[in-house]
Amino acid sequence: MRLLRQLARRKLRTALTILGITIGIWALVVFSSMANKINALVEGGSQYFAGKVLVFDASSLGVAIGTAPMKLEIADQIRQLDGVAASAPQVQLVYDPEGGGVFGSAETLLGSLAGADKGLETFPINAVQGRLITLEDEGSAVVVLGSDLARKEKASVGTKLKIRGVEFEVVGILEPTLTAPDSTAFMPLEASQRLFHASLPAPIQEAIAADQLIDQVVVYPDKGVSESDLAARIETSVDNVSTLTGAQFDEQVGSATAIFNAIIIGVAIISLVVGGLSVINTMAMSVAERTREIGIKRAIGGSRGRIIRELVVEAGVIGFIGGLVGLGLGALVVVLGNEIGRDSGTVLFDLTPGTAIFAVAFSTILGILAGVIPAWSAARLDPVEALRYE
Amino acid sequence: MENRRALLEARNLRKTYRLSRRNQVEALRGIDLDIVAGEMVAIMGPSGSGKSTLMHILGLLHSPDRNGGPAPELRINGDEVGGLSDRRRTRMRADTMGFVFQSYNLVPTLTALENVALAAEYAGTSGSKARQAALQALGWVGLEERAGHRPMELSGGEQQRVAIARSLVNEPMLLLADEPTGNLDTARSVEVLQMLRRFNSERGQTLVLVTHDPEVGETCDRIIHMRDGLVEEAAHHVVPSGSGH
Repeated sequence: MRLLRQLARRKLRTALTILGITIGIWALVVFSSMANKINALVEGGSQYFAGKVLVFDASSLGVAIGTAPMKLEIADQIRQLDGVAASAPQVQLVYDPEGGGVFGSAETLLGSLAGADKGLETFPINAVQGRLITLEDEGSAVVVLGSDLARKEKASVGTKLKIRGVEFEVVGILEPTLTAPDSTAFMPLEASQRLFHASLPAPIQEAIAADQLIDQVVVYPDKGVSESDLAARIETSVDNVSTLTGAQFDEQVGSATAIFNAIIIGVAIISLVVGGLSVINTMAMSVAERTREIGIKRAIGGSRGRIIRELVVEAGVIGFIGGLVGLGLGALVVVLGNEIGRDSGTVLFDLTPGTAIFAVAFSTILGILAGVIPAWSAARLDPVEALRYE
Repeated sequence: MENRRALLEARNLRKTYRLSRRNQVEALRGIDLDIVAGEMVAIMGPSGSGKSTLMHILGLLHSPDRNGGPAPELRINGDEVGGLSDRRRTRMRADTMGFVFQSYNLVPTLTALENVALAAEYAGTSGSKARQAALQALGWVGLEERAGHRPMELSGGEQQRVAIARSLVNEPMLLLADEPTGNLDTARSVEVLQMLRRFNSERGQTLVLVTHDPEVGETCDRIIHMRDGLVEEAAHHVVPSGSGH
């Protein structure tokens, strides 16, 4: 308590030191939260793609972006191949073609036949409200919303929602997964086929009936069949398709996010180093300013160990307070940023308890380390010299 | 007279400050000194005569050196303290000595009470007991009322009285005062000096003070005159009033 009172009596110096640490920790919290979110997305994606092969039309550019139409019969063709346990036709589209999404969190709608995975889908999706899509829903305009999408649409079970101009009834809301399903609208295959059909140019609409239209097939291999072998077999046996396996996803998206992560962590580390140096600087200044005080304390019987302890504990407390304030400000940015972003469908941050604890622990340790060197040299001062110091 | 034991015995105290390879200052050139328990002794002399250096050595803030002379000896209460480690000397300062400085030297961010309590804590007294002892010591100098004030809220005389309370809180054997009245006007000087004299006569507190002021010197039992790093003479040696307690 006396320590806190003493810090309060040196308001300017204490405030400046705390500010120095606060800025670094603030940056650390914000950037780590961003990295957390991206890692959760990628991890979720990696978990989703693991153990399966995605099949697209060869002209398609990738998942949910510019997906090209395919015929439903391709799913049947694939089902006949050796090593295929299940072949699930799907339609995956941009949820709202008018609104934009940001990297990694684009909103999509996904139409699929319930049960087409034959129970092989391992990615956990659970309803927190209402229910999931069933096979009986085929033919009706119902939808199950991911948690972020539900918040954005302010929807709950029973809400009527217009998706691409068609009215749907919300029958379920999903638990948060921190990854793609949070911003996905799940619907029966047939409903999604009609939406897809309506979005295509007239010549294609005429060439292919809505109920024959899909844009991807999720293929589950038999036990003991490797995804890459199966992917190769699909590409040679079926015309005009390309495949994506879990390993390829990890490779493609993983390396992209690794760069992104490296940039984010780099920025956080730079701000911490700058913050850390500023703390060391202010601690050294603060110790220098108090040379005389240290001389007094030494003269009246304060041991070197005691002086070091006093200064280091003080630096640790400053680091701790700076960490808490930085965490508070960072959390504010995270909460406000997510609140603002949610309306445009962009949830950028994920502040985990681990990040919070790390931030405060780190700044406390940083404070202590920043205090040790000045404290050590202060305690070694000749008390008589220190007393003469003005 | 049997309890007139020597509290402080110094032999061959030398101290040389090397300013550069060729330039050195012999601040002390072989001081022999005995101070008896209960004495109030003034050390006087012109600037540069080595008064402060002597005080720093007696107060274990600096160590004497040989500089080619015989080995220095310094005994406090019969114990040789010359070769003690920094830790032991610090401990000894806290337990057996009190310091009063010309410029008060209070810690500016601490209240009067906290300043005094700090010295008690350094001597190993724990928190609440240290505060109690500090309050008592502030009572001795008549400043209980001002216990919660910080140094900048106190007058010079009051600050010096807080410093005296701090020097007395551990009831040390030896009080060392370096120009204790140097920054005070005449009235405050008299007040502080009378206070020190009172602690000396009533409690038998041994007191060594450095001063420029002949009037301050006159108040003491004995004056040690210094010049050029040597003791010049021992003037008017009276029987210490504190003896026999």
